Amino acid sequence: MHIPDGILPVPVTAAGYAATAAVTWYSVRKINKKENPRQDIPKASILTAAFFVVSWIHIPVPPTSVHLVLNGLLGAILGYFAFPAILIGLFFQAVMFQHGGLTTLGVNAMIMGLPSLIAYFIFRLRKFGDKESRWKTGVFGFLSGAIALAISVAMFLVILLTNIPADLDVGTERAAIYTLAIAYLPLIAIEGFITSLLVVFLQRVRPRILDGV
Amino acid sequence: MRMKWRIITCLIFILMVGLVLPIKVLAHGAKIEYTVNMTIEIVATYDNGEPMAGAQFVVYAPDDPSTPWLTGVCDDEGRFSFTPDTSKPGTWDIQVRQAGHGDIVYIPIGEDMVVTGGTGGYTAIQIILMAACFIWGSVGTALYFSRRRRA
Repeated sequence: MHIPDGILPVPVTAAGYAATAAVTWYSVRKINKKENPRQDIPKASILTAAFFVVSWIHIPVPPTSVHLVLNGLLGAILGYFAFPAILIGLFFQAVMFQHGGLTTLGVNAMIMGLPSLIAYFIFRLRKFGDKESRWKTGVFGFLSGAIALAISVAMFLVILLTNIPADLDVGTERAAIYTLAIAYLPLIAIEGFITSLLVVFLQRVRPRILDGV
Repeated sequence: MRMKWRIITCLIFILMVGLVLPIKVLAHGAKIEYTVNMTIEIVATYDNGEPMAGAQFVVYAPDDPSTPWLTGVCDDEGRFSFTPDTSKPGTWDIQVRQAGHGDIVYIPIGEDMVVTGGTGGYTAIQIILMAACFIWGSVGTALYFSRRRRA
């Protein structure tokens, strides 16, 4: 899911940075309009750490292995804080572990961050209708986690498929990319399930955490 | 009689020269030539240690870093080897890539040659330490912003 340095041409990475700058600016503006912008910083901080660490948990899906992303979960719980949180997490993953890269930071932030904002909008839909129920929270939690990752996988797929260098055998590389994308399919369900479990748990033990979003 | 001895001496001399000369020619002709057939072996793995089986590699020679000098596919253990053209000293770039994952290694060939090398990679302890620092930083931030305000 993290695109490393040297894979994408410079115009694509530059466009990624431009888009990331725009979305970060928009997110920060939205955060500043809140009554108390500092209120959600603790949970954003903790979830940034979770996002940072979780990419080390590899789930074997033969013939490859994938790792949890949790961008849908961040979106559902953090709202507009999700994008900056993911950006910070990705920066440290790139600097410390060469997981991703500094030139591709913008592109990776778009791949994982933009779907997290979509997850936030999906999770907010639970408030429509008669009243909030645990059942509705669970369903929309699942949808936000699963759809966010599905969009991420789709973006990752499109960016890679349109940027296969001419020096490589295009057919082989394309097949490898499709194999990886298929490996992410079970993860979409897993992330939806994890997000659903966590939001239902939070609603039961500390519903105030979900109040802001 | 005198004449006869002269001929015999002459023959012996010719014979001796004939015997000795070829040996001298051989001794002068000795020479040693050598060629080093250097093979570079590449092992490509993902950061979780899994081999990049079936990944594609592209080798670029120092004189033309934009046109591939050699392309191919790694074996099941993520290995491949090639013999670089030693008449092209400089830095050879080798890219290994699969499904958008990959890396480039730069191998200097010529006077400042190194025998082994690689890219990236920390030990497990370093990784755990760095991750722990980051987590502590995040928890610290969370604690700082969640402290109760005194009136």
